[in-house]
Amino acid sequence: MSALSSASASGRRLRAGRRSGVGVTRPGLVWAVPATVFFLLFAILPLVLVAVLSFTSWDGVSAPTFNGLDNWTKLLHDPVMTQSIWLTLVLTVAGVVVQTPVSILLGVWAAGHQRNRAVLSAIFFVPLLLSATAISVVWRAILDPNFGIPSEMTWLFGDGNLMGSQSGAIAVLTFVGMWQWTPMHALLYQGGARAIPQVLYQAAAIDGAGKVRQFLHITLPQLRNTMITSMILMLVGGLTTFDTVLILTQGGPGTDTTNSAYYMYQQAFKSFDFGSGSAIALVLVVVATLISLAVVRLSGYDKMRSTSEGL
Amino acid sequence: MKRRAFAVALGLSLATVGVTACSSGASAGGSNTIHVLVYGDASNKVEKQIVETFNKTSKVKVVLDTIPGADYQSKLNTIINTPQAPDIFFNWGGGSIQPYVKADLLLPLDDMIAADPGLKGNFLSSVFNTAVIDGKSYGIPMRGTQPVLLFNNKKVLADAGLSVPKTWDELLNAVTVLKGKGVTPFALGGGDQWPTLMWYEYVFDRVAGPELFQKALSGDKTAWESPESKKALGMLKQLVDAGAFGSNFDSVKFTDGGSPALLAKGKAAFELMGSWAYATQQDANPDFAKNDLGYSNFPAVADGKGDPADVVGNTNNFYSVLKKTKHPKEAAEFLKLMYSDEFVKAQLAIGNLPTTTNTEQFLSTAASPEYSKYQYDLVKAAPSFQLSWDQAYPPAATTPIHTAVQQFFSGKLDVDGFIKAMQALPAS
Repeated sequence: MSALSSASASGRRLRAGRRSGVGVTRPGLVWAVPATVFFLLFAILPLVLVAVLSFTSWDGVSAPTFNGLDNWTKLLHDPVMTQSIWLTLVLTVAGVVVQTPVSILLGVWAAGHQRNRAVLSAIFFVPLLLSATAISVVWRAILDPNFGIPSEMTWLFGDGNLMGSQSGAIAVLTFVGMWQWTPMHALLYQGGARAIPQVLYQAAAIDGAGKVRQFLHITLPQLRNTMITSMILMLVGGLTTFDTVLILTQGGPGTDTTNSAYYMYQQAFKSFDFGSGSAIALVLVVVATLISLAVVRLSGYDKMRSTSEGL
Repeated sequence: MKRRAFAVALGLSLATVGVTACSSGASAGGSNTIHVLVYGDASNKVEKQIVETFNKTSKVKVVLDTIPGADYQSKLNTIINTPQAPDIFFNWGGGSIQPYVKADLLLPLDDMIAADPGLKGNFLSSVFNTAVIDGKSYGIPMRGTQPVLLFNNKKVLADAGLSVPKTWDELLNAVTVLKGKGVTPFALGGGDQWPTLMWYEYVFDRVAGPELFQKALSGDKTAWESPESKKALGMLKQLVDAGAFGSNFDSVKFTDGGSPALLAKGKAAFELMGSWAYATQQDANPDFAKNDLGYSNFPAVADGKGDPADVVGNTNNFYSVLKKTKHPKEAAEFLKLMYSDEFVKAQLAIGNLPTTTNTEQFLSTAASPEYSKYQYDLVKAAPSFQLSWDQAYPPAATTPIHTAVQQFFSGKLDVDGFIKAMQALPAS
């Protein structure tokens, strides 16, 4: 009896303790108000408005008029739209494929303690400090067919008509994107590589593993979560690539590099057809969300395990 | 309980934001000012001067708002139907103001013209008519005219033993000779797309006369499949296939200095470009502009219906007045300054060519008198001055036009494909 009562008393105490603990560690919902309001105002509300606009015809001047599914059926049969989704995916995948290996190598190298590492890293990170506009303008000049590098290296570039063909323009966009974004991802990998416990390398060295094996069997697996983070950033960035397209190719030649983000801009702010523009924007939101969800699911990012010392 | 507090807080903050947004909107548009919105560039110097002149004597003051060029049309379109809208704004006439006329936002200027006939009579009519829509006048010319000319590098032509082509056959001959010398016959900033369009505008005019495009613009889409249209397209195709523009024109731009450099450095012999190219060359290659930059009208086409004196380009820029302005009288007084001697002299001094009837007497004061006189005589003698296609159509058609002209030059569209693309343009 006494044992029972003491047990229940301790249980009560425990419960009471837990309750007070909740009060201390979990702030009330009111604290979430500022962030929530901003999110609702600047993300959800515009999204809803865009959804409504996608069912209207609006030139931005007269009042919007509802036109039912017109924008959507038009979009469904629009070869430029179909092509733009395909182009968006090509640019995104090319971005991931080209940027990932380069930034892993750079990042892991930058995580070491070699001579001149700090100086060289600082130089490598310069593109990160430049605006996308400046980068695009500079590369446009460097790649000018008559006065840029192509005119000096005709054995490689031929007549230098890089922006005049679809494959050339896509290659330029991918290359400039790599030049611009590799530093940021290298920075992520540098942080990730620095966090790998040295004991793993020491153990591997004792077992006779060389630099390459250490890289393949310790560094790469340990960078798994960093890779997923970096890839999601690349995917989202790739899907919304806009500024480089605007300045380097203007979606051209013709519509050959008109990706979805640029097509949205063109419809809404060049042709003043905000209805179609909104519909494209919604498609982009849905596609980007689906892809991000798929990556999170497939990679196991949602149940990410700690990679702390000793695994 | 907490959840309700949260919801209330949310509702309150939303309401506050909504209220502030409204109040800030209503405060714009002062009572004793006229807001004038203009395209921001080097010409603003004159606009500022004219505004100062006006403000010296007027009780209602003009405030000049400049929007950096590339964003002008987007900004205007965003604010024109809001309380932030200006009273008077810069535009290109034609299709660029048509959506606003349709939305009943613009003030027809016919009453002003009835009170002061000079507001119409003091301007060259081929220019003034660009801003006449459905028989009503909506714009007063307020800058210089910009006809498209065939610029050339005199030195390159002399080295090749060529003279300026007067006919299409001479032009084709020049292409063959120049190609043999390893010179690109025509510099073309295809990356910008609108320089490519200029070739269509002239060839269509020379082959079919200005009527074909007017017919198409007014909604008769059969114009595009007429034999003249097909002939013009065939001639353009022949030119491209002969290598008249080289092979990498789609990677070259006028706007970043690419194609003007080709002409100035003698890598190309000609460039078809708006009259502003003269100022561009003066700025980037002063020696070339002074010694070797030549210019001529587009050559004639044998058996063509178009008058070889016709020109195409931007007729001028215009000031239009919004219907809801509180000061239409003062606006009219301000517009009258656009044919004043002071205005004409100031425009000429910065290299623009105004289109007033009194321009002629001041031509000798221009920055480059010879060039100004050439242009003025050309425009004055032109039976037709066709506004650039991408300005004649409403803004919604601009991108499809640019895409189609680019794709036809690059071979992605054939004649039928181009005709279909033009027939699919949104009707005016």
